[in-house]
Amino acid sequence: MPPTNASNTHNMASTSSNLTQDKQLQDAKVSIKTDALLMKKSLDKIELLDGIKHASDMLNKLSSIAKMNNVDVPMQLSPKNYYEIYMNVTDELRHLETFMIDEFQKGFKFDDLYELVQYSPAIIPRLYLLITVGTVYIKIQEYSRKIILKDLVEMCRGVQHPLRGLFLRNYLLQCTKNLLPDCVVSDNEEDGDINDSIEFILLNFSEMNKLWVRMQHQGHTRMKEKREQERKELRLLVGTNLVRLSQLESINVDLYSSTVLPRLLEQVVNCNDEIAQEYLMECIIQVFPDEFHVKTLEMYLKACTNLHEDVNIRNVITSLVDRFIKTTVKLDTDETATEQQATIFDIFSRQISEIISSRPNMAVHDIVALHTTVLNLAIKCYPDRIDYVDKVLEITDTIFNNMNLDHIQSNSQVSKELIKMLKIPIDLYKDILKLLRIKYYTILYEHLDYVGRKTMCQYLLNNALENETKIESPDDADGLLQLINPLIVDSSDKPADYEQDAEDFIEEQTLVARLIHLMQSPNLDEQFLIINLARKHFGAFGKDRIRYTLPPLVFRAYELAYNYKQTSEQDEKWDKKCDKIFKFCFQTINALIKAELPAELAFRLFLNGSQVLCEIAYENCENILYEFISQAIALYDEDIATNKFNSISLIIGTCQKILHIFGEENCDSLRQNCVNRAAKLLKKPDQCRAVALCTNLFWNCKPRHSDGVSLRDAQKVNECLKKCVKIAAQCVDTSAQFELHVEILNYYIHYFEMQNENITIDMLNELIAKIKQDSTGLDKSQNECQMILEQFDRSLNYMRKKSIVFDGILF
Amino acid sequence: MSLFGFGPGCDIDFELNRSGNRKQVEVIEDGKKIEQLVYYDGEDVGGTIHFKLKKPGAKIEHQGIRLEFIGQVEMYYDRSNHHVFTTLSKFLAYPGEITENFSIDFNFPSVDKPHESYNGANVKLRYFLRVTIIRRFSNITKEEDIFVHTLSAYPESNSSIKMEVGIEDCLHIEFEYNKSKYHLRDAIIGKIYFLLVRIKVKYMELAIIKREIIGDNAQNETETVAKYEIMDGAPVKGESIPIRLFLGPYDLTPTMRDVQKKFSVKYYLNLVLVDEEERRYFKQQEIVLWRKADMYKSKQERSDQMQVYESAQDQLRNQLEKQHISDGQNKNKIANNRVRHDENGDLLNNGDDSDDEEE
Repeated sequence: MPPTNASNTHNMASTSSNLTQDKQLQDAKVSIKTDALLMKKSLDKIELLDGIKHASDMLNKLSSIAKMNNVDVPMQLSPKNYYEIYMNVTDELRHLETFMIDEFQKGFKFDDLYELVQYSPAIIPRLYLLITVGTVYIKIQEYSRKIILKDLVEMCRGVQHPLRGLFLRNYLLQCTKNLLPDCVVSDNEEDGDINDSIEFILLNFSEMNKLWVRMQHQGHTRMKEKREQERKELRLLVGTNLVRLSQLESINVDLYSSTVLPRLLEQVVNCNDEIAQEYLMECIIQVFPDEFHVKTLEMYLKACTNLHEDVNIRNVITSLVDRFIKTTVKLDTDETATEQQATIFDIFSRQISEIISSRPNMAVHDIVALHTTVLNLAIKCYPDRIDYVDKVLEITDTIFNNMNLDHIQSNSQVSKELIKMLKIPIDLYKDILKLLRIKYYTILYEHLDYVGRKTMCQYLLNNALENETKIESPDDADGLLQLINPLIVDSSDKPADYEQDAEDFIEEQTLVARLIHLMQSPNLDEQFLIINLARKHFGAFGKDRIRYTLPPLVFRAYELAYNYKQTSEQDEKWDKKCDKIFKFCFQTINALIKAELPAELAFRLFLNGSQVLCEIAYENCENILYEFISQAIALYDEDIATNKFNSISLIIGTCQKILHIFGEENCDSLRQNCVNRAAKLLKKPDQCRAVALCTNLFWNCKPRHSDGVSLRDAQKVNECLKKCVKIAAQCVDTSAQFELHVEILNYYIHYFEMQNENITIDMLNELIAKIKQDSTGLDKSQNECQMILEQFDRSLNYMRKKSIVFDGILF
Repeated sequence: MSLFGFGPGCDIDFELNRSGNRKQVEVIEDGKKIEQLVYYDGEDVGGTIHFKLKKPGAKIEHQGIRLEFIGQVEMYYDRSNHHVFTTLSKFLAYPGEITENFSIDFNFPSVDKPHESYNGANVKLRYFLRVTIIRRFSNITKEEDIFVHTLSAYPESNSSIKMEVGIEDCLHIEFEYNKSKYHLRDAIIGKIYFLLVRIKVKYMELAIIKREIIGDNAQNETETVAKYEIMDGAPVKGESIPIRLFLGPYDLTPTMRDVQKKFSVKYYLNLVLVDEEERRYFKQQEIVLWRKADMYKSKQERSDQMQVYESAQDQLRNQLEKQHISDGQNKNKIANNRVRHDENGDLLNNGDDSDDEEE
């Protein structure tokens, strides 16, 4: 038969079985109602025996064959439906119980009721009634509680059918809730003590567990999934036993470790069923208090080594560790603190290894995960014990070595787990420097492949940035830079076909750049060491990287120079140190040039450096400053092709600031170089503006050797401005010309006001007249023109206001 | 007894239980429930007989009035031939005539009543008083049955019943009943231990079978007196199922052996396992029932009946388990025992028909 047909028939069969199930359920519910009504009627008439008979009829619905409408119906209910019937029936049974208690308390005695209910020939009703009467006897203290409890739990063995047995024993548990003896020594021997309660629950538990496990082995193999689903639905019933145990207040740590737990574990281990083991081990962790777990950890973990191979031991151990992490109970006593005894961590560490060696087929990623949980414990519970962390990592490393695992493929599960593990110290310490104290951290991390390591690096850096971790010592800086090696260097194991998205690359390198800003030693000399170290690490590994990593380093160096200057009073050698710094910077920037990166970067760094230099202005800085600015100009000449105007403006601006450092000779040379380059710009307006800017070089600059008097070369200024007017005149575009004239006018106004003797009021008037003339031919509807006209008006107004200065201006 | 319905008539009534404190039992005779008084061996049987003339003023001549106490065995297939094993008789009146109603007291002192009264399917053992007004043609008689309970002392030896039975490679069980002799209000305590289960058991029950044997096994009648479910579902190897069956609610008699060489009544416990194909596996085991004097249970007895039976072997097994002796070794030990046959040479029977069948 083709498989499709087979599945069809199967579906049909299951639908029809659902139909009969529903019908059975409905019939049973109706029938239960009828029986319950009859029972209550009898009870109203104080006819207990009749009441019990009807109760028995009602309980019959929980049997394998139920009598409904006088017909024997074989019951085939799913656990869910059976549960529903069970709830219906036991609800009604409560009436019987209440009645009996009331009547007994009124003095009504019915001899041998406990025997009487056992006359019932059918086992299911018999045992439900026996439990009901038994608990009534206990409540009214009619008979020895100890004996009744023992009897009930033993008699339930008669039901070996898993589903019916589980519910019967659940009823037993329900009825005896709050009735179990809970005292260490009893006044009355017949009442029993805590040991009887423990025996009672443990027996019930192991019987229920056996029934539950047995479900797995019944029925067809193809129904396995459904069966496992059903078992999961029923697991709470088994777990209730453990809850009951945990509710007994007389169970103390000693009793728990000497009796309760060993017996529980024995049952769990021996049942050899993965579903049961996984659930119950978890259950034990959840229901009992922390201090119990602390005392019995070794025993519990030993049991774990004997669990079924398919049990997901990870989940179990993780739950346990979580429990320990969250606990407020002191994990180790004072003796253990003085190393007399094994600490909780020691026990974990040792037993986890045992567990792993007990499972030769355990997947590596699971092994890693197990150690991860221990690592978690070590860090969270022993924040000061880095040696613990090291130990866990060492063990993990040994495992990898034994398996010859290296370059663990990223995206493999092992890699994912290892990364998870390595992230834990990062997350928990929030201080990546601590990682450097963990010997095996780096060693373990080296097992990752290139991509994996990169992932880790980024994570690490993000963490450092988020927490603003300060890296203060050269050693730390060195260690850290080694750690993030994959971001800095092209490792040998970088896959040949490795391709990275440009954006990702930038993001990654930006992180490194940002890291540089976290490196800050309070000791300036050390800071210089750090910067040098970083420089060495960044080295020459690829122009793509140094483009992002070297500039920040240069800025850090500038910053350091400022700091030296600030402490110059305490440090005699500060000049020499600064000199060193700037030489370093110079070389570093040159490295960028050699890497043939866009020259703009180095150009700007040089200009920036020049300004810093002149601000610090240490002894003998002139030479190096000249090197900086001349390198910038050289770059301008050779490597900057576009936007020349902007660049020359920058040069001019920088020169204006730094000229005062230089001696006459260098000063003249620089000025001349600027003017020459300004005049050689391609476009006329650019030429004009640049030359105008150059006027600043000749006015208001303080050459170093002029003893504080500003060097004001009125002649040169005038020449420049004249040149500007000349260049403007060469412009063909009238509106551009007009604009240039307005701008030049402002220069004239400025220098006139600055009392440049070479600028006369006539020159101003001449220019104003020219502008006015220009303006007549302009298309004034254009926005641009409007703006220029407004600017012109503002200039005129300015002069009007200062009419004393600008006496003789023809407005 | 007036043969033709005429002639002088006289009603005779026995009044045995004057104080009203004698125990009564309900006996079904010819489909009717009758109350009968209970007597024990060696007790006096006495009372008053009331004679009442049917027609006041009439006269009844007689040759004397005789009272007999008779114990006899009656076979239903041979009504005419009763086997009388006890007779006592006395004259209540010399020949004369009855002219008015009168009453006579009587007493048989310390009467031997060696057997228990019994109403079986084919045989009956009864004790009765018969008064006869002896007449020339037709005697007037009246009988009154009493019910005799024989009380036994506690049996001297009462060993448990323990047996390992099974079908090769299919089912091996070991069962144990705490005693071989039970009194009628007793409880059968025991357990069944499953050594090997390869069949899908649906349920297990314990039945009490009563067998009435007449003559030399000439005629047998078997009746299932009780059916009692003791297990629901399929056990696995190693399970131990408790048995507790109270005999009180069932209509049982003491075991009777060769009563007057006429008949026996024997009881058997029948352990029945039913598998999912409705096949039945069973094992019968005779138990002896006896009647105990005191009818009320002592507290001790009650708590004895509440115990779950734990045999010596169970205790041993528990010990073994505690010592973690491996399953394999344990199995070997049991395997050596398991071919053993019981005293009847029977293994557990596997019959598709009812458990009531003849052996």
